[in-house]
Amino acid sequence: MVWSIDDWPGPIALSVEDARKDFPILQRKVGDGKKLIYLDNAATTQKPQQVIDAMSEYYRNNNSNVHRAAHTLASEATTAYEESRLKLKHWFGATQSRLVFTSGTTESINLAAHAWARTNLAEGDVIVLTEMEHHADIVPWQMLAKERGVELRWTPFDLETFELDMDAFAIAVKGAKLVACVHTSNVLGVRNPIEEIIHLTHEAGAKLILDAAQAAPHDRLYFEELGVDMLAISAHKMGGPTGIGALIINESTFQQMKPFMGGGDMIREVHLDHSTYQENEHMLEAGTPKIAEAIGWGAAIDWMAQWDIDSIHQHGLYLAQKTVAGLRKIPGMKIYGRHAEGDGAVVSFLHDSLHANDLAAFLDARGFAIRTGHHCAQPLLRKFNIAATNRVSYWLYNTEHEVDKFITAVTEICNKYA
Amino acid sequence: METVEWPDKLLEIIEDFSAAFDISERYEMLFELAEEVDELPISEWSSSTKVHGCQSEAHVLACLNENGSFHLRGAADSKLVQGLISITATALEGRSLAEVATFSPTYVEEMGLKDALSPSRANGFLNMFKKVQHEAALLGE
Repeated sequence: MVWSIDDWPGPIALSVEDARKDFPILQRKVGDGKKLIYLDNAATTQKPQQVIDAMSEYYRNNNSNVHRAAHTLASEATTAYEESRLKLKHWFGATQSRLVFTSGTTESINLAAHAWARTNLAEGDVIVLTEMEHHADIVPWQMLAKERGVELRWTPFDLETFELDMDAFAIAVKGAKLVACVHTSNVLGVRNPIEEIIHLTHEAGAKLILDAAQAAPHDRLYFEELGVDMLAISAHKMGGPTGIGALIINESTFQQMKPFMGGGDMIREVHLDHSTYQENEHMLEAGTPKIAEAIGWGAAIDWMAQWDIDSIHQHGLYLAQKTVAGLRKIPGMKIYGRHAEGDGAVVSFLHDSLHANDLAAFLDARGFAIRTGHHCAQPLLRKFNIAATNRVSYWLYNTEHEVDKFITAVTEICNKYA
Repeated sequence: METVEWPDKLLEIIEDFSAAFDISERYEMLFELAEEVDELPISEWSSSTKVHGCQSEAHVLACLNENGSFHLRGAADSKLVQGLISITATALEGRSLAEVATFSPTYVEEMGLKDALSPSRANGFLNMFKKVQHEAALLGE
């Protein structure tokens, strides 16, 4: 390995102005020539030039399959691919744990369901979830429940405070084998009391898988320090490319896992009557892996490492709070979320007479990219008796000026059409 | 693109939209046109009036005028979608069922709306248009 953690400079406080310069897409115009204001970062963030360059450079100079041939390109590609795994392990405080590359958070959770839960859970066993989960952290468990007769218990949240009912959780987790929980909600931006959830989960003798897709872009998560058993993340929500994510797994959980998909990188020996498998992460990475994407993700982590993560978090939260303050002045506007210290940079809102799709269309016509719909969290929205919200979500390159322009635009549109 | 001879009232709408300053103005015109449709009240919405594959809740009901010509009633929770229904109603008003069956939905492109509509909304429009044609065909049976 050529990379070492010393290659990361000491982080400095976020400079939005400097960070923005690395994102060429933020300069483009949309529709009939309006300047793009990108406020859909919880869906996916834009990519810095350094990530685009790293992936191009790989395809221009190093492209080769990994872990196989003994030629120069294969060696370079393998080194770069494994170097990215090492960087990610350092970034997520998981140097003594396993980091399996997947296609993203959704596949990571599905992998946990197939490789761990199908092997370790039987009829009557209990999985505890929350009503705040993304579909990716609901559907795999429903499928498993149907197949294996596993019981799913749901932790409710309060419609006024937007907080999980931890008394209900404490009761539900008793006797459970697994807890699957979102760190930060993609709709409400609420950061759940993860430390308490971990404590109660382990006290009950259960394992915990954490969906950290929305937390990873704004928070530094130290896997081993947190003490969770599995952590699911996506690259594309933190400046990396689409098509890659990871499941981080502690050693004891990894040892209980069985291969999910067969073929390619996961084998050790194949005979006509049986096969043996790799014993490290490769066991769960069948087929040719996502090489360019892993290298791009490594470059994204290098890029993020220059900024102090707390300053990224505070910047996002400040923009979210400013947005909430502006939206609250619009008659008929309801905000979903509390936007307290520790929460994500996400603001979901809905006007009582202007349809969410209509507001989004008017905003799009003015150059604002926002999300509208159920945000892959239909059970959460159903609790509020709504089918959709509008949602803005910020990352480190969004400016206060963009928030001001957004509030002005929403106010004008609502005044005119609501 | 083939040249289609549009009815006069639709041609007026197409010209107004073509002359619009930008997409925002076209949306504003759709909002205004939404008010002009023979609105189908929520009490008459049902699974048989619902347009499937549309992001918003949209409903259409094909009817006949006293002289046997076509008339469309409709509504949507999204005003932009209701505006598109309204234009469709104007385009098809008073036409024979045979004419409705062969009417081209390309007026949306000529109005400069196609690029403005998201792919899902463009599909939603086409689903709505096909449903109208299907309901019209049923009226003729």
